[in-house]
Amino acid sequence: MAYNGGPMTEAMYYVLLALMHPNHGYQLMHAITEVSHGRLIMGPGTLYGVLSRMQKDGLISLAEDDGRRKTYQITPEGEQALRIEYGRLKAMIQDGNILEGGNENE
Amino acid sequence: MNKTVYKLRPSDYWRIGEHESWFADMAANGIHLKKMGLQFVQFVKGEPKKMRYRIDVSINKKITPEQIQMYAESGWDYVTSYNFFHVFSSPVELNAPELHTDPAEQSYTLKELDKKLAMNAGIVAVAMILMIVMLYAIWFLDETPTLVLVEGIAIQQTILTIFIGFSAYTSLQAAISIRALRKDLIGGKPIDHHAPWRMHHRLNSIIALLFTAVVGVGSIIPFVQLAKGDTKTLPEASLDLPFVRLADVEQNPALVRGESTYMSDNVDWGNRYTYEWSPLAPVQYETDENGVVPGRMWKDGSGEYSPSMHTRVYQLSIPSIADNLISDLIKRYNYDDSGEDFVKTKHPTFDHLIVHEDEAMKEVFASKGKAFIHVRYYGYADINSIIENIEEKIEIILE
Repeated sequence: MAYNGGPMTEAMYYVLLALMHPNHGYQLMHAITEVSHGRLIMGPGTLYGVLSRMQKDGLISLAEDDGRRKTYQITPEGEQALRIEYGRLKAMIQDGNILEGGNENE
Repeated sequence: MNKTVYKLRPSDYWRIGEHESWFADMAANGIHLKKMGLQFVQFVKGEPKKMRYRIDVSINKKITPEQIQMYAESGWDYVTSYNFFHVFSSPVELNAPELHTDPAEQSYTLKELDKKLAMNAGIVAVAMILMIVMLYAIWFLDETPTLVLVEGIAIQQTILTIFIGFSAYTSLQAAISIRALRKDLIGGKPIDHHAPWRMHHRLNSIIALLFTAVVGVGSIIPFVQLAKGDTKTLPEASLDLPFVRLADVEQNPALVRGESTYMSDNVDWGNRYTYEWSPLAPVQYETDENGVVPGRMWKDGSGEYSPSMHTRVYQLSIPSIADNLISDLIKRYNYDDSGEDFVKTKHPTFDHLIVHEDEAMKEVFASKGKAFIHVRYYGYADINSIIENIEEKIEIILE
């Protein structure tokens, strides 16, 4: 399914985030764990699926390919999509602020 | 050194979780998956080992070296592939991370397969419908299903239809299952890697066995029919075979054989007998005979008197179909007659006796037990002479 600008899956979001620095498959898995502060551990199957799909959609591209190991990088379109998604998520968090003082209103 | 073990390949390749748990259970018994063949799964005998197996579906039929490399770095070794399915394994003690940690993401890997299976199912369903229409035409277009059954004409087509029907059923099942799995994954429900496989496995083995037996026996039948069937020129002398002869009915020493009208493969098709076999009628004869009485003329002056005879003889496996067979034969071979002049007659010898007389044309259908004889005669001899001859010949079949 081509990316249509709608909400991203968690996997997509973190892969794009991790690819702000070009990286290759195995390291990328660790980068994702790191960038999510250990909250998200992504299996190689899920990662491979996200990578091949986002490459097809032009959100990421190959920075280097030595045959066995491919290094991916985010494209300008990918970064733009990531920033839009980030803005959306931020707005969502702000909208959720009413929950913070929830108990007092009861 | 290591012994190879072959197991029948399950026909329900789309049950991913069941395959995974099957491979794992095998490995725990020391039988390790090596290769998925066309009909058989190849295992290698070794030490029992607790293994995890995961089947990954790829969008493309071919798995990329990059994917293999990436999985290997996480502790998953590539084992084998079949169609869109790729098997990876990892020892339990290695505690490798799950391949797929996000069911919704995994559902994307099934998208292409889902589409393809849906298309396959559509194509096979159309083929199935065409086959059924064709088969229906063979069986029922002439409205003579018993005759088709007895002569064993439609055996190949029927078997082929069963075969296509089975693949249509499997394709449909595959398409529905993969669609359901994709929906489950989208809904966040992961694949059950320990799905019980024994029941489906046993069922599949039984179906495969039955199917092989039916198709196997079924495909032999046409060859038996070919091998057993033969056509020969009728000798002028009488034979110890169960069909009525023209000379016996005519009772005229002046009768000589008519000139052959059609010769092929050294057989005079105007004076021939054909032997055939089918499961429902293991003995079948069909004969044609033509004679001339030199000097004698047809009463209407249309030429020299030349009586002819066409007979069919069946030894039926199931005697009770004789009744239907008679009405089918009447239908099939009496295009112009509306069938109203066929008279059912009681006779002490026969179970069924139907006669039809139209000037010089005489027809008799007679059955007794599993024997059935049909005579169509064109000439001036009395119809009772034909019936008497049938009485005599029908005993030969019953012996």
